[in-house]
Amino acid sequence: MNSYEPAAHEFASVARQPGLLTLTRPSQSYWQDAWLRLKKNKRALASLYLIIALLLMTLLGPWLWHQDPTLQDLDVISQPPSFGDTALVVADPGLWAGVTADTATLVPADPDGKLVLTATARIQTVGAATTQYVRVSWDSVPGAAFYLVYRNDHAPESGEDLGLPLGQTLAAAELSFEDRLQLREQDYWYTVIASDEIREATSFTTERIHVQRAITATQARERLLPAPLGATVALQSHPFGTDSLGRDLFARIIEGARVSLFIGIVAPFLFVLLGTIYGGISGYFGGTVDAVMMRVTDFLIALPFLLFMILFRIGFGIGPGESGIFPMLLALVLLRWEDPARLVRGQVLQIREEAFVQAARLLGAQPLYLIFRHMIPNTIGPLLVNLTFSIPMAIFTEAFLSFIGMGVAPPTPSWGSMSNDGLKSMLSSPHELLFPAIFISLTVLAFNLLGDGLRDALDSRMRSRE
Amino acid sequence: MLIEARKLRKYFSLGHGKQVHAVDDVSLGIAEHEVLGLVGESGSGKTTFGKTLIGLYDKTGGQVVYRDRELPQRYQAQDYKRQASEIQMIFQDPYSSLNPRMTIQEIIAEGLLIRDGGNLGSVRDKVVYWLERVGLHGDHLSRYPHEFSGGQRQRVGIARALIVEPKLLICDEPISALDVSVQAQVVKLLGELKQSLGLAMLFIAHDLSMVRYVSDRMAVMYLGSLVEVGPADAVYFSPQHPYTKMLISSNPEPDPVHERQRKDVIVSGEIPSPVNLQPGCRFAGRCPLVEPHCRLETPMLRTVAANHLAACHLL
Repeated sequence: MNSYEPAAHEFASVARQPGLLTLTRPSQSYWQDAWLRLKKNKRALASLYLIIALLLMTLLGPWLWHQDPTLQDLDVISQPPSFGDTALVVADPGLWAGVTADTATLVPADPDGKLVLTATARIQTVGAATTQYVRVSWDSVPGAAFYLVYRNDHAPESGEDLGLPLGQTLAAAELSFEDRLQLREQDYWYTVIASDEIREATSFTTERIHVQRAITATQARERLLPAPLGATVALQSHPFGTDSLGRDLFARIIEGARVSLFIGIVAPFLFVLLGTIYGGISGYFGGTVDAVMMRVTDFLIALPFLLFMILFRIGFGIGPGESGIFPMLLALVLLRWEDPARLVRGQVLQIREEAFVQAARLLGAQPLYLIFRHMIPNTIGPLLVNLTFSIPMAIFTEAFLSFIGMGVAPPTPSWGSMSNDGLKSMLSSPHELLFPAIFISLTVLAFNLLGDGLRDALDSRMRSRE
Repeated sequence: MLIEARKLRKYFSLGHGKQVHAVDDVSLGIAEHEVLGLVGESGSGKTTFGKTLIGLYDKTGGQVVYRDRELPQRYQAQDYKRQASEIQMIFQDPYSSLNPRMTIQEIIAEGLLIRDGGNLGSVRDKVVYWLERVGLHGDHLSRYPHEFSGGQRQRVGIARALIVEPKLLICDEPISALDVSVQAQVVKLLGELKQSLGLAMLFIAHDLSMVRYVSDRMAVMYLGSLVEVGPADAVYFSPQHPYTKMLISSNPEPDPVHERQRKDVIVSGEIPSPVNLQPGCRFAGRCPLVEPHCRLETPMLRTVAANHLAACHLL
């Protein structure tokens, strides 16, 4: 086997040729790099857009959606979501004289009870049958002393199935009835039964009447929909329906977002700030100062939040059922800063011993310079993640407290109190609970996913240091 | 002597009355333009000695004299500022020694800006000069530390320390976190800078042959105390203290012929815990030549040859 003897010329150094191969890419700062990572995380990015949309909705909502969240419209109580509904403009109901028969033509009741009461020949509507009022009149029945009026939402199958007893006439001559009881736009079956002093007729007449959506002329004027009587006007859409007082749920959700997001964003900012200052002092000075300050935070964890919330309410003289945003904010800030304080303290303790801080010390850096130039910039990532996770916690706390009646009080809406209102009619009109609950869930989920994404985006730099 | 430690002592409290004797009565001086190598196993207190010497740790006892002026026992921010242009340090871990949020330009300029004020623009030329002097490019200015390799980061650390033109540089294991080819480059760079700037250096390392190569004198620490100090070649080629012999025999020799001829000093056991030490020679528990009085009496440094001292009862 030949041994290889390297010659001197094979190891001649190669002169550096300027510009021969320079691979460069633009330098990325910490935040640029984190943003790139966050952009790759689709869930976090979608959450970010959702949060921006929510904030825009809160800020611009009242300009874009003109409905008054406190306006009560008893015509549209607990209405499911509706779009582009129209209504007939009808005259104000006023006092209706009704239809009266000529007493002379009436056949009086038979005292012997021999005369068998029959069904009325026909039932007819007087004027248009609308959701404002339905006026029905009928032909007289010989021997009737008064009439009973029933309304049903389906065709009666038997005499037992006539539906809602609307009322009875007071005299035999009274041959009409005005129905103004929670009318909806649908078909109704009206039944009129004649009755004498002793018994009701065994046969009856049922008439199907279609009820049209209508508003009165006065209502039209109030809603700035000037139209002549008999015209058709477009009604307000209620994309999320209305609540039990006929208030637009969408407008209330926008309004409620202000309370929920205000508490959800302001409280975490305040307690993270407080925690940062406290933890920063504790970590920077270390030793006995640190030990004492950390025992105080240990003590703080033991304090029950709900009890303090109630104590603050009492302390501020806020009774049950009154709005208490400030005590809620105070309780959140005073009892929740311990988590960011621990985080910052740990970070500062760690960074204080890092070589780059020692190097800066040797270069003559003052304590404030060390804190602001070296410690805070290296703490801000985890702190931001903590803040993002604190926001859904605070939103949820607000919703929970409002739900149990410890937060905002009517008429101020908040998602929590709206859920509570909706709960009462959950079975008959589920949308009243569903929409606020969806908004709470979506917001909390979006902030949590964003926090997850931020943590990954900011932490990965820490990992790539190795 | 440029800087001199006199019976320097640093104990760390563990609570419950326990103390770690990290540095115990170490007296050691560095002359102007001299490179003093400090070697020892991990946990022997080399780094603690370096950091206590320049005030990064408060002293438990003893004093440090720099140019006939005693340095403070406990440093305040102004004390660091006063000595910033005299003493600087480069750190072991090139990853944690640069702030990840600052650009290279900001890192290198930091010392100048703290000392003289001004802004980044006004010191730019000087920063570029130093960046090129340590072998990096001027266009690296606006990059971040994570874009550099370990060796490049260490160069940035060197530029940061030297831009304020100190007289004494503490090198705390500057090469132990680097791979071998980069180690040589960094050591060569330090050697050049030492020559051209007239620096004195405390070179802390556990690579004996590297320390011998860069140092004028070599000091050996064991469990917080100094066991041997003398001219680098003398300590390396004729070690006196049993511990130094063990250290040097454990250091691989590149020449296989020489390696085979070497006498192996076999020492069992590991460095004991430096908590609440008892009197007596600290190496007694592992020393192959141990005698009864070694365990009772603490040996003092004594002269064994010209400028060569060792702390052993058997010499």
